[in-house]
Amino acid sequence: MLNSKKQTRINHIVTYFSLALFSIYCLFPFVWMVISALKPKAEIRTANPTFYIKNATFENFIKVLFDTGFVGFMKNSLVVSVFSTLISLVIAIFAGYALSRYSRQQYVKVTHIGMLVSQMVPGVLLLVPLYLIMQKFKLLDSYYSLILAYTTFVIPLCTFMMSSFFDTIPYSLEEAAEVDGCGKLKTIFTIIIPVSIPSIISTGLYAFISAWNEFMFGYTFISVDKFKTITPAIMLYRGANITDWGGLMATSVLAVLPVTVIFLFLQKYYMSGLLSGSVKG
Amino acid sequence: MPSKNQTEIVKRKLSRDQRSKVTAILLLMPAVIFLLGLIAYPLVKVVFDSFSYSHLINKTLSGFAGLNNFKKVVSDEHFTQALINTVVWTVFSVLGEYVLGLGSAVLLNQDIKGRTVFRIFIFIPWLVPIIVAGMTWSWILNPDFGILNNLLVNFHFIKTPINFLGDKNIAMASVIFINIWRSFPYYTISILAALQSIPSDIQEAASIDGAGMFKRFFKITLPQLKSVSLVLVFIHIIWTSINFDFIWILTQGGPNYATETLPLMIYRYSMKLFDVGAASALSTIMIIFMTVLFVFYYKKRSQLSESAM
Repeated sequence: MLNSKKQTRINHIVTYFSLALFSIYCLFPFVWMVISALKPKAEIRTANPTFYIKNATFENFIKVLFDTGFVGFMKNSLVVSVFSTLISLVIAIFAGYALSRYSRQQYVKVTHIGMLVSQMVPGVLLLVPLYLIMQKFKLLDSYYSLILAYTTFVIPLCTFMMSSFFDTIPYSLEEAAEVDGCGKLKTIFTIIIPVSIPSIISTGLYAFISAWNEFMFGYTFISVDKFKTITPAIMLYRGANITDWGGLMATSVLAVLPVTVIFLFLQKYYMSGLLSGSVKG
Repeated sequence: MPSKNQTEIVKRKLSRDQRSKVTAILLLMPAVIFLLGLIAYPLVKVVFDSFSYSHLINKTLSGFAGLNNFKKVVSDEHFTQALINTVVWTVFSVLGEYVLGLGSAVLLNQDIKGRTVFRIFIFIPWLVPIIVAGMTWSWILNPDFGILNNLLVNFHFIKTPINFLGDKNIAMASVIFINIWRSFPYYTISILAALQSIPSDIQEAASIDGAGMFKRFFKITLPQLKSVSLVLVFIHIIWTSINFDFIWILTQGGPNYATETLPLMIYRYSMKLFDVGAASALSTIMIIFMTVLFVFYYKKRSQLSESAM
């Protein structure tokens, strides 16, 4: 429309070419990860690695799944992530509702600012006191320490994501229920939550991915294999002398699989939710 | 009697207000408990601990330390290096991320087929755990069996393999490069959302007036991105400067402290030397830096939103 046809075509070609370069840059490590995971040892430890796999094998995956504590680590990650997601969702729905509906009250304003500031406070600065707190309450080497830490650090953004969605729900929906004598809690559960499912999904997804991917607290709070989550466990696969790169890449493939699959199905919700939260915060 | 009626209304209104106040407090309670207990209290404790003697294992060590903890960490032979490393790591990471994020967002904003697929491709690095990103890259960059060295040697860009993460002159650049790879997609998505909210008729009008592509970009598009850029850059300056995972996974601060930033130094003092006092002093120093940054950011941001109105 704006430019001549020829110019538009050149523009398109340049755009496609640049986007292809970006895609290669972004995806190459994953492609290489999968290729390496499928290679037998002889093809891994060679000075001339190739993209082509001569003897593709699942031995790396089989070894990881059966010979190491991998399944246990995945289970631990799942337990910790699911529970911290559920808890932070409940908390964020309540707090987000208050932020949206009672935004003019003094307490709510103060809490809002408090959350903005909390969002800026990084975990590593609180590592020592949090470690001491967990030590004091004997929560080190248990799921509780991680669930507590992960929940806390996602509460601010989750709350902002929920409240910015609640802002779009007209108040008249609730008024009818209130006239009928519904309590606030009942209103939230019967009126608000059913219309907020997409937003709840994207908020939950954010909480889940944050917990699943977290490394530092999992690395410091847990020292026994029984409760170790998958992210710090991957560090174990990197031996002091000889690293089993094939096994390591197979583990990586398996560790990113759940998150990637969930994301591909729900990516639309996820991105829009993430943006609405960060714009508000 | 109107007066009685009025007082009744006031009374009812008051109780309604009070009721909603109680509701709001109850709804906020769980969030506030978490944030007070696990963010506010630890924050205060860090500052308090930085002025006292405290040890992770040896609990008998205690008492007021004055500024001794601060003196100790500042006179650490690697402190200045760590400070410089933190600045280099932060500035170059954020700069690279912003440039790539802006570029890819502008590309994705073009009206072309397959946009969604490209968007998903570009977003994927942000999704994977840092540990997986770190491990995969250290495998790619491996000097003995790594694919990158192999390609570079075969195409005669270099003669001998480079030890990307093990050479103290190159390690920092490598770590920054990997960090940019993993973090820029967040910029892409945020800037893209901002771009899509710019009304296209401004662009069209400028184009009719004869403004070229580059002129339109610098005169129209960029100014519209001012506020999202400010948010992105400041949040990432903070997120990057305090990042621990990335460097720890890739180099553990080595070789020979060449990539040790302040957060890694905090980790070294707390979890390796068990010196809670010194680690807290370092944290306090970082908290002060960040408070200054935050205040600056907050002022800039309210200025921007005022001028927008």
